[in-house]
Amino acid sequence: MLKQLAYSTALALVLAGGAYAQDDHDHDAEDVTLYRVFVGDHAEPSVTAFDLGEPDNRWTFETTGQNKLYSVENGAAVVAVQSFDDAVNFFTSGVSLHAHGDHSDIAVTDPTAIEETLTGPRPFHLIDHDGKAVINFDRGGYVEIVDTHALSEGELVTSQLQQARAHHGYAAPIGDLWVTSVASDEPVEGDAAPARIGLQPINADGSPAGDVETCTAIHGEAFSGAYLATGCQEGVLTVTEGADGLEFEMLEYPEDLPAGQSTGTLLGSKVMQVFLGNYGGDGLVVIDPVDEPHFRYIELPFRRVDFALDPTNARFGYVLTEDGSLHQIDMLAAEVAQSASVTEPYSMDGDWNDPRPRLAMAGDEIVLSDPNAGLVRRVSTETLEEVGTVEVEGMPYNIVVVGGSGVDHEAGSDDHDHAEEGHDHDHEDDHDTDEDHDHE
Amino acid sequence: MIRSLITALFCSVISFNAAHAQDEKLRVVASFSIIGDFATQVGGDRIDLRILVGPNSDAHVYEPRPANAMALAEADVVLTNGLQFEGFMDRLIAASATEADVVALTENVAAREEPGGGHYHFIDGEAIFHAGGLDPHTWQSVVNAKIYVENIRDAFCEADAINCAAYEANAEAYLAELDALDAEIRASVGGLPEDRRVGVVAHNAFGYYEAEYGLRFLSPQGVSTESEASAADVAGLIEQMREADAGAIFAENISDTRLLEQIASEAGLEISGVLYSDALSEPDGPAPTYIAMMRHNTRTITSALAGDQ
Ligand SMILES: [Zn+2]
Ligand SMILES: [Zn+2]
Repeated sequence: MLKQLAYSTALALVLAGGAYAQDDHDHDAEDVTLYRVFVGDHAEPSVTAFDLGEPDNRWTFETTGQNKLYSVENGAAVVAVQSFDDAVNFFTSGVSLHAHGDHSDIAVTDPTAIEETLTGPRPFHLIDHDGKAVINFDRGGYVEIVDTHALSEGELVTSQLQQARAHHGYAAPIGDLWVTSVASDEPVEGDAAPARIGLQPINADGSPAGDVETCTAIHGEAFSGAYLATGCQEGVLTVTEGADGLEFEMLEYPEDLPAGQSTGTLLGSKVMQVFLGNYGGDGLVVIDPVDEPHFRYIELPFRRVDFALDPTNARFGYVLTEDGSLHQIDMLAAEVAQSASVTEPYSMDGDWNDPRPRLAMAGDEIVLSDPNAGLVRRVSTETLEEVGTVEVEGMPYNIVVVGGSGVDHEAGSDDHDHAEEGHDHDHEDDHDTDEDHDHE
Repeated sequence: MIRSLITALFCSVISFNAAHAQDEKLRVVASFSIIGDFATQVGGDRIDLRILVGPNSDAHVYEPRPANAMALAEADVVLTNGLQFEGFMDRLIAASATEADVVALTENVAAREEPGGGHYHFIDGEAIFHAGGLDPHTWQSVVNAKIYVENIRDAFCEADAINCAAYEANAEAYLAELDALDAEIRASVGGLPEDRRVGVVAHNAFGYYEAEYGLRFLSPQGVSTESEASAADVAGLIEQMREADAGAIFAENISDTRLLEQIASEAGLEISGVLYSDALSEPDGPAPTYIAMMRHNTRTITSALAGDQ
């Protein structure tokens, strides 16, 4: 089939070339794989970007505070949320990938800082879904909705959605509706945060579109397939778009899970309809929103520092524990498949925001920041062995990776020798490889 | 084939109790219901079949589950359509790490280009065409369906040589039924007047049926259901319907009818029944097998276009 596709593609190109281009040998295309890493420093208000394969291609951007980084719009843009300094900065990543059925196009330029920023009281969670990056302002009582396509073109286009009461929460679009986390209306002392009690469907203008679904201490949210999942004290609440509005289902924690724990951080696979969540500090749960058992528990040897799902090979997730070991999680077997030591220990005692490593995925590598060593480490997903390090000034902390593989129409356009070859490739690994890009 | 022969020999000589090739069924995964039916016709009770995208479900936008990846992991043979029909499949196969033979059944089918597919790149002021995909709905021509069946027969024989004769016999009998079906459809459509051969469907799934049997279908959506039709698509379609004097509008089992109802009312037509495009019906429905599906579709199309409903 691939041969046939390549043939028909080449044929169409030759035919089109005659009609639209003077000389189709001018238009060479190359298969390109490029991963670009963005790292936020722990102490300094700065973001460093570099190309993983060529770390001398390096850029530094100043911001206002410590940056938590998110990649949006299939990695075309990066958002830097500065919770402690009430600011949000935006970057074009310089790497855009566009899927066209059997292949992706990749275009690579320098990353740029978008001049416009957002300010507001305590921006925190960001959820990227359906072309919108939705940033909760925990002390503002609203979310800012950022158009990620415009962002990828360097423009900041936003709108706001009001919540009933300011709280540490989130809002997310589902079909034509939205859901927002909801805080209790009980009074609180001083500037203490109100208790969080549930999730409510709302319209795009903020008016209620249904009752509050109970989800005590709601925290953590992710999309996978047709589902949004969110963590609660009593279980994991799922939401899908049904024929008549949104459908909610509380998946209660089963009895065989350790008592007194819950899920507060969730990752959603872009390949299979499945979630990976924490369960307490030293457990993980593989959550299947449709088939039973909904929860499969994985006990970790130490407390979790950070975890990530592999968008290239969806069978696996990776978790770093405080002893400095990286564990490969088999999402189908719900077990640790292999482990290896990758950093010095980083105790989970102390503040959640103390400098500790963070993980991101780059094709067949795990890329992790090692703040104390001043390094970004590259680890093979196959062997869990280190395949390289990149020195980064200061204390590299929060990290995202953008990029992937595609066809670059600009590459080698002066090279007359490989015109046919350029179109003869087969596109096997051309899918979205960006972990933060939500399924649409 | 050599590998499975050796495995079979090894099992029968070394460990009679392990009962591999003879007693254990060939574990087959079919990506969607229509090729699931083909697999049943060829494999009969010699295979243990799992179908990923079931009756009335849309493979274009299917959200695969972990259980699907596990089914792939345990399979001996995986049957897919290919031509990007199952957008989820390649990555799911990678996730499953299956060692099964993965067979794209459209491998030697002559596929047509997706109408209006492809895109241009403007580089240094020149337009470079990047070809679009191929239309994956090849099963809508019975001539192509026969190629699917032959490919399944060959895949089963390769994976399970001991039962090859049975697969060959089943395939031969079924291919004869398909020949009869093909002749039947040609006769039915051939009976329609030339000026009553244009219909409307939701997504462009009937290109091979059109080309094979001499009809024309208009649709607001392209060959995938992934992207929604725009207002401009709908307006353009209604204009096209007037120009072509489209005689009937059909719902599809895999998609909801809201858009088509809107088009029907704007064009002053009623929806003339449901076509089974990308999935079979439930067992008690009108299209539980491929042959029943093609008969049902042909009957629905011809009676609506002939105007004798
Ligand atoms: Zn939080
Ligand atoms: Zn289709």
